[in-house]
Amino acid sequence: MSTAKRITMGVMAAGVLAIVVAGCAPEEEEAVARDTLTIAIGAEPESLDPVQMTSAPAATVGEHAVERLIYMEEDGELTPMLATSWDSNEEGTEWTFRLREGVEFHDGEPFNAEAVKVNLDRFLDPDVGAVYAFLLGSVQEVEVVGEYEVRLHLEEPFAPILSHLSHSFIGMISPAQIEDSYLDDVGSPVGTGPYEMVSWDRGDRIEMTINDNYWGDTPQIENLRFTFISEDSARIVALETGEADAIMAVPPTDAVRLEGNDDIDVTYQTSVRQIYVGFNVNHEPFDNKTVRQALNYAVDKEIIVDTIFEGNAFVADAPIVDAVFGHTSVGPYEYDPDRAREMLAEAGYADGFEVTLYHPTGRYPQDSTVAEIVQDQLADVGVDLTLETMEWSSYLDYLYLPEDESDYRMYVLGWGTVTLDADYGLFALFHGEQGAPAGNNISYYRNDEVDVLLEQARINTEPAAREALYGEAIELIWDDASWLFLYNEGQINASHRSVEGLIHHPLENLSAWDAYFVD
Amino acid sequence: MYQYIARRLFLTIPVVLGVSIIVFAIIRMLPGDPARAMAGPQASPQYIESVRARYGLDQPIAVQYVTFMRRAAQGDFGISVFSRRPVITEISERFPRTLLLASISLVIATAVGVPAGIISATKRNSIFDNVSMVVALIGVAAPVFWLALMLQLLFAVHLSWFPSTGIGTPMHLVLPSVTLGAASAGLFARITRSSMLEVLREDYVTTARAKGLTENVVVYKHALKSAMIPVVTVMGLQFGILLGGAVLTETVFAWPGIGRLLVDSILRRDYPVVQATVMMLAFLFVLINLVVDILYAFLDPRIQYQGGGGE
Repeated sequence: MSTAKRITMGVMAAGVLAIVVAGCAPEEEEAVARDTLTIAIGAEPESLDPVQMTSAPAATVGEHAVERLIYMEEDGELTPMLATSWDSNEEGTEWTFRLREGVEFHDGEPFNAEAVKVNLDRFLDPDVGAVYAFLLGSVQEVEVVGEYEVRLHLEEPFAPILSHLSHSFIGMISPAQIEDSYLDDVGSPVGTGPYEMVSWDRGDRIEMTINDNYWGDTPQIENLRFTFISEDSARIVALETGEADAIMAVPPTDAVRLEGNDDIDVTYQTSVRQIYVGFNVNHEPFDNKTVRQALNYAVDKEIIVDTIFEGNAFVADAPIVDAVFGHTSVGPYEYDPDRAREMLAEAGYADGFEVTLYHPTGRYPQDSTVAEIVQDQLADVGVDLTLETMEWSSYLDYLYLPEDESDYRMYVLGWGTVTLDADYGLFALFHGEQGAPAGNNISYYRNDEVDVLLEQARINTEPAAREALYGEAIELIWDDASWLFLYNEGQINASHRSVEGLIHHPLENLSAWDAYFVD
Repeated sequence: MYQYIARRLFLTIPVVLGVSIIVFAIIRMLPGDPARAMAGPQASPQYIESVRARYGLDQPIAVQYVTFMRRAAQGDFGISVFSRRPVITEISERFPRTLLLASISLVIATAVGVPAGIISATKRNSIFDNVSMVVALIGVAAPVFWLALMLQLLFAVHLSWFPSTGIGTPMHLVLPSVTLGAASAGLFARITRSSMLEVLREDYVTTARAKGLTENVVVYKHALKSAMIPVVTVMGLQFGILLGGAVLTETVFAWPGIGRLLVDSILRRDYPVVQATVMMLAFLFVLINLVVDILYAFLDPRIQYQGGGGE
């Protein structure tokens, strides 16, 4: 054998596979793709059983098959879904819901008041251990009033109950399915939604197909497929090759690149989570409001948003994000280091002070970089920060100490108002009785006026009145500055230009029931 | 021979037990409260308490370990914190996919690496030898992550020959198995070459040549069998590594195998799954080593096991 011949053989041995398979490239897959919309998400749902769900990916997938009584639009407005109307008694302790008639679950079971009761009772059952049972924490009893009328009896007036009922996790599944697996995970949920479950191939994908019997507008796209691609770059590749029609959770730097691709639309949307630096108001120097405000003036939030997040974050203008019901814009504290220095001098800290800033690493996007920027900017006004990072669960253990044991001064944390109602974002974090470890008020902040406002907003059943109460509370909270308010996280999705009608929800849900293909 | 196998099998018990203790202890020595980590940052104290009770985390470690091992012996590895499905179900769904990926990769690596090594050895210092050894070196040294992305860009994005991610058709296997097999192919080529060169210098090869046998017969009939002994060892070990070490490949190609399950579970602090997966992989590794040792006997008549030959 000549050398040349051997080389040829070697090359063939190495390349034989590629050549053989190249001959049968999967062209035919492209042609049938149009009746299926594929959405690539970054994480697999932990479960699609309403009582077990905890994550945004689970909500995104689940929503297409399972519906709840009330739907919350992207702007926080509550609209009828399986309930057509609702009202409460004078005190706000009894809420009556009239249900949509003639709706069937995917298995043919009728949707009625009894079905609602079975679902909510399961959610509330401590033996079931629903993670989000707190959403219905105030519900004492679910009463079947008529075939299509159900009444919730609350322990005490709790106006946010409507937002809570709109949460993606308070979904209605078939009573027959609940009977089969009351305590266990139902696996593939049988709901009333525009799509019904076909299969769930663990680790790879979930397939759904259209519900021909849907009570509302039938979707235009026949099949839905959710694939799980945890690696960011691979998810983007899948979009570029057309294997996915839409992807969620695009990193900001890649979003900039995708913007340059004419076939791809990039969508920026706020999320519900705000990142902040908390002060422990029990300890010097943060027992002094002027110091807390001064630090708020000393940090340039714009820089953080523009440089670290490439514009995909939003400077906080209130202690909750603007998509939340009850949000009033009161901020931001404009960046003004001179003013910060003056205020510090006024408070008796003309020479600044030293303090440790605790922060997580890798828990929130870019969290440690944000801590470094805060350190850098506070150094400018004479406040010398030492950064201390901890593993997440140790960190929580350290922060959630009883008031008299806590000795930290400053910490970085985030909070997602997942109910999209100000109550969830404010009550547990700013009410004086909500101090850690029982509540989430890790700053041990206490303002009696705020407490009263938050309590009133909780029981007032008039949405406009609630909004006004939250407006007042937010102004006080902002002025008291128990946090160094930083930014609201953003979310980025991307989709092919041929797909229209996707809904990008602040709750980090991507909904496809109104989607359609264009050429 | 059978006695030897039985004894080796018996010896895997302390190894697996040791691994189980180490894994169990490491997971519980991690700082922080696992119940809180599992429950998430916004969970209520009552919920955290219920998680602690449900997973027996309120028991002393020794009690937890004994409970775990007793159940594990019956095939019950507990319930995944994340999916709330039995751990054994999670693993048994994922493992066949990793097995498939690792097997195909091993086949590719062998089909490419071993012939390349043989030709390089017989044509030492030829162009083929130099080129293939450089390619092998690149294969071994290239980061899997980088290689995966490059293959995706070239064959999925630009040429559209293969799907970039996921499973389903044989086409989906190509890019991940080539990625995963590349390093092994390089390794096999280099080992085969050096082993072959050594054997070709042996006296019996010279004898064979002196008898007037053709070069092909000398190489493939006489030398190859001896040369394969170290290669088989490496193949066995490599197969174990492929099974447990496909993490990066599985992640980039969204291949729902055991490696991704392990990494995802670590990130989710899904301790029952982490425990069971690591123990299973350790057990497999021990098993593969045993199989390799037994294969020796067939390849190398010099190796005798007690009670076997009767000489």
